[in-house]
Amino acid sequence: MKKQNIIFAALFASLVMPLSMAMAASSPILDEIKKQAGGVEFSAERGKTLFSQKFTGGKPDTPSCTSCHGKSPQNTGKTRAGKAIAPMAVSKSPERYTDAKKVAKWFRRNCRTVLGRECTPTEKGDFLTYMMSQ
Amino acid sequence: MKPDASTEKADCLTWSAKVEVWDIAVRLFHWSLVLLVATTAITGFLAAEWWLDYHVWAGYGIALLLMFRLAWGFVGSYYARFASFRFPFRVLLKHMREVVSGKGGQYLGHNPAGALMVFALIFVLLALVLSGLIGLGGQENQGMLAAFADYQSGVLALEIHDILSILLLGMIVAHLAGVVLESVLSKENLVRAMVTGRKKAEPGRLPHSFGKKRVVWRAPVVVALIGLIVGPAYWQLTNMPASGFVAMKNNPTWASECGDCHYAYHPSLLPRSSWDTVMSGLSDHFGEDASLDKDTQSEISAFLSKYSSEHWDSEAANELQKVDLKKPLEITASPYWKQRHEEIEPLVFKRKSIGSKGNCIACHTDAKSGHFADEKISIPE
Ligand code: HEC
Ligand code: HEC
Ligand code: HEC
Repeated sequence: MKKQNIIFAALFASLVMPLSMAMAASSPILDEIKKQAGGVEFSAERGKTLFSQKFTGGKPDTPSCTSCHGKSPQNTGKTRAGKAIAPMAVSKSPERYTDAKKVAKWFRRNCRTVLGRECTPTEKGDFLTYMMSQ
Repeated sequence: MKPDASTEKADCLTWSAKVEVWDIAVRLFHWSLVLLVATTAITGFLAAEWWLDYHVWAGYGIALLLMFRLAWGFVGSYYARFASFRFPFRVLLKHMREVVSGKGGQYLGHNPAGALMVFALIFVLLALVLSGLIGLGGQENQGMLAAFADYQSGVLALEIHDILSILLLGMIVAHLAGVVLESVLSKENLVRAMVTGRKKAEPGRLPHSFGKKRVVWRAPVVVALIGLIVGPAYWQLTNMPASGFVAMKNNPTWASECGDCHYAYHPSLLPRSSWDTVMSGLSDHFGEDASLDKDTQSEISAFLSKYSSEHWDSEAANELQKVDLKKPLEITASPYWKQRHEEIEPLVFKRKSIGSKGNCIACHTDAKSGHFADEKISIPE
């Protein structure tokens, strides 16, 4: 490979990669939640904790998001009635988190079921950021 | 045409010559019937529910055979005709006295006791076919009478069907005993005679002259005529909508909202009062929050009450609307559901491919339609 080409490829990569990452992380739904959260930076790390943490405030059968969604966002989950749930990670289920009404509905339901209360905008933003990075 | 001695002719037969008594059509009828009755008995008494299809097909086969035999009783060869074995009661009594005193073999065709059994078998088999068809149409909403028979008459018909089937078993045992007895008394293997069609002509029981008239060509004509009548009738009747099912317009909102966590339970599986309670308690739905926005909730409520079990006449709707009074929201808590699934090991429901009792569609491949037909049951590994 010629030197020129390598420089060109490096330039191209340094331009395109951050761009594509920014595109993956930006979604109208996340932007809206960010507004509600007052502009705090979301953290995939905190989202991961929310996803796997055990809570005691909710329904006894489902102490954690992982009760239904499975241990890893990459895995297929299962409802209590036995129906499969497609993986939560965007890399596995690209159609996820694109329907604002659906996302709002399930946050409302699942947070009440697991935490016994609605999730805060920050919690929702963390969760979505984590899933979009997966 | 009674087989009295005056119409019997010896012709040039030697006394031990064998003559054809049972024509080929009678023999084929007899052994096909044996095969099909055995099939219905095995699938009816022993096999699991999902063998129903085979039971029904064998039943249709028996119906066709009986139609043929009834026609052949009028146009068949001499010994196949009903007129040749319609004995007066006193002849039957006389015959029974002779059998008791160890005398047999006077009759080349059916003896009076055997003849009575033939009529009784045909009658009971016809009644079995009819009660089976009404039961199939009424209870399962399938078959030729699905458009006419309602659930209650289906249930009643199947009770009669059960009694008749046990009666038939008893009659078959008696028939076999009679064959053995007459074989011994007449020193002639009657089972073989029903295979070869031939019996020994002896003094006192000579073949009827009419017996030699070749009428076998009529058999395919009779078969073709039956086919011409039954074929279109079957097609016409089975294509009529079953009376137990309502033409339900699918509601996509219901299908997706109530199908996210489990198979979307068919509206016909619970009565209206249960659906109303389910729909007003969605924020605490079996230990989960399944809440919906107001518009969606009232749309689904309306759909479920429009098609609740009261509107259907299927087996599932009729039986499952008798809910458990303490748990009126749970289909799986109703006495009927429990009774029908009591033989399934609890571990089976825990299989990966099933997950829970409520995952009807894992085992009932037609659960979406609400039919829950016997032959659509298949328990996954
Ligand atoms: C009782 C089982 C259950 C639990 C517990 C659960 N979920 Fe869910 N979740 C579901 C089901 C079922 C769906 C919808 C099925 C689908 O979209 O494939 C869903 C969907 C979602 C969606 C919408 C996804 C999309 O495609 O828009 C989000 C967001 C979500 N869940 C978040 C959570 C969070 C956060 C938790 C823990 C606080 C959690 N869930 C716990 C069952 C559960
Ligand atoms: C958030 C998940 C969720 C949603 C959405 C949901 N259900 Fe359920 N449903 C459940 C769970 C969990 C059970 C208990 C199942 C089990 O234990 O197997 C259940 C059970 C039921 C049962 C009792 C089944 C039985 O075992 O006999 C009925 C009836 C029912 N749901 C109706 C509905 C209807 C109607 C809707 C739509 C309005 C709906 N469900 C939506 C989670 C859900
Ligand atoms: C593990 C598999 C399995 C699951 C899950 C299951 N069933 Fe069944 N069901 C069966 C079997 C097997 C039979 C036949 C039992 C018998 O031999 O009588 C049956 C019979 C029935 C019948 C009687 C059918 C008939 O025509 O005789 C109905 C109705 C029915 N089930 C409804 C349901 C409903 C509703 C659900 C979900 C709430 C359900 N079943 C879940 C296996 C299952």
